[in-house]
Amino acid sequence: MIVADKKPIEEIIGEIKDYTTILILGCNECVTVCEAGGKKEVGILASALRMYFLNQGKDVTIDERTLERQCDHEYLEEIRDVADQYDAIVSLACGVGVQFTAEKYHAVPVIPGVNTCFLGATETRGLWTERCQACGECILARTGGICPVSRCAKRILNGPCGGASNGKCEINKELDCAWQLIIDRLKALGRLDDYENISPIKDWSTDRAGGPRRVVREDVQL
Amino acid sequence: MDLKNKFNAGEFVILAEIEPPKGVDISTMVTNATMVKGKADALLVPEMSNAVMRMSALGGAMILQGKVMETVMQVNCRDRNRLALQADLLAASACGITGIMAVTGEDPSFGDHQQAKAVYDIDLPELLDSIHKLQQGRDMAGIDLCGSPQFLVGSTVNPGLKGMALELELTEMKKKIDAGVEFLIMPPLFDLDSIEPFLKMVDHRKTHIIPTVLLLKSVGMARYIDRNMDHVHVSAQLIKRLQKAPDKVRECIKIASEMVSVLKREGFSGVLLSTIGWEDRLAEIIDGSKG
Repeated sequence: MIVADKKPIEEIIGEIKDYTTILILGCNECVTVCEAGGKKEVGILASALRMYFLNQGKDVTIDERTLERQCDHEYLEEIRDVADQYDAIVSLACGVGVQFTAEKYHAVPVIPGVNTCFLGATETRGLWTERCQACGECILARTGGICPVSRCAKRILNGPCGGASNGKCEINKELDCAWQLIIDRLKALGRLDDYENISPIKDWSTDRAGGPRRVVREDVQL
Repeated sequence: MDLKNKFNAGEFVILAEIEPPKGVDISTMVTNATMVKGKADALLVPEMSNAVMRMSALGGAMILQGKVMETVMQVNCRDRNRLALQADLLAASACGITGIMAVTGEDPSFGDHQQAKAVYDIDLPELLDSIHKLQQGRDMAGIDLCGSPQFLVGSTVNPGLKGMALELELTEMKKKIDAGVEFLIMPPLFDLDSIEPFLKMVDHRKTHIIPTVLLLKSVGMARYIDRNMDHVHVSAQLIKRLQKAPDKVRECIKIASEMVSVLKREGFSGVLLSTIGWEDRLAEIIDGSKG
């Protein structure tokens, strides 16, 4: 999922302080799972903002809404009849949702309420860690299902850098060395011979070389 | 007199573009550069233009600065992060390079290493800011330098844009000048009328706008540029002139020389001569412009 983290409320206030009618717009997908931008967080942020403006003696209307997704036209259409009534929308969706909302409602400023961080997984409640950088050319089959692009600090593709100590990365003693994990996993799979193979030089053109990417699936297009 | 003083004195300056080699044989580069010694005012050394891998601008500029004459080293945001950019700028200054031209850099997809990952750790305004900081004696982390570089800083401007795009370009140009840019190189210019809206808004006699005079090599190239290069216009009249010329190469050189003369007469601060591989013709273009 896309993992996001809440923005400091001071930053959000800085962006909306001149408006008087504001919609806090949550998303029921990834940001709900990582507890940054779902219905619950919409309620918490709206309450905090109401309290702030009340203390400031400002009459500001803060409304709440949470859509199933903000990255789909279909769900964003649900606020078609009300969007223009607001001076601003604070979107608690990921960067995709913020942009899609802004594209759909040109006349209303759409302000991000979260920082979109990475593609990751829930390790335990309250701990999400990165697993994928969406490089566009998955090499997990060669690396025992552990991604050196997202999990190695140096993103190196042919074995450890030599800086790890006791299986931990040189940049942070709490961070596993991705290549130690890969080697352990390949060993467990009886495929350590794979480790001896030098990877072909990675084609980053599927990453961001060449600009924003598209996936076109003619077989599912209407 | 160095390039900075020539600009300040209002002299018309001629920059000659010399591409470093794709390899380590520098003989052709040095020979071509030596041919313009005493004719051009400085050599502009591009940093892997069009994202085609070749010797770095730093390497080329160091060699040419030592063996031939003053250089302007291009520095771009595509290939280096902030550590490497600053490190190379320090190296350049310590090796006597006093002129730099900061650019964004073309995407790797334009070049011959299309699988490369572009860096763009910092963008052009940030690069200009970091150059300013280095000149003030501090790096981007705010740490004091042991000796600070001093550069004549250039960048780019695109006067061929129209309408709102031109207005945005003028805003960008002002930002660059405010960030310490002292000269601005523009794309190839074949027709002054094509930048008339720009010239109405900018006093090119006060701002150091440096048009690129690109050496045409054939009728086909002229047509291609007119059809495919955004905001660069080659007039039908010029294409016809080339078509009719019995000696097309001589005519191409003559056209470039004439363009230099016209731009000098129009009060531009200078020109950049670009030949895309015909660098052995640079001297002829300059000679022709003075004749």
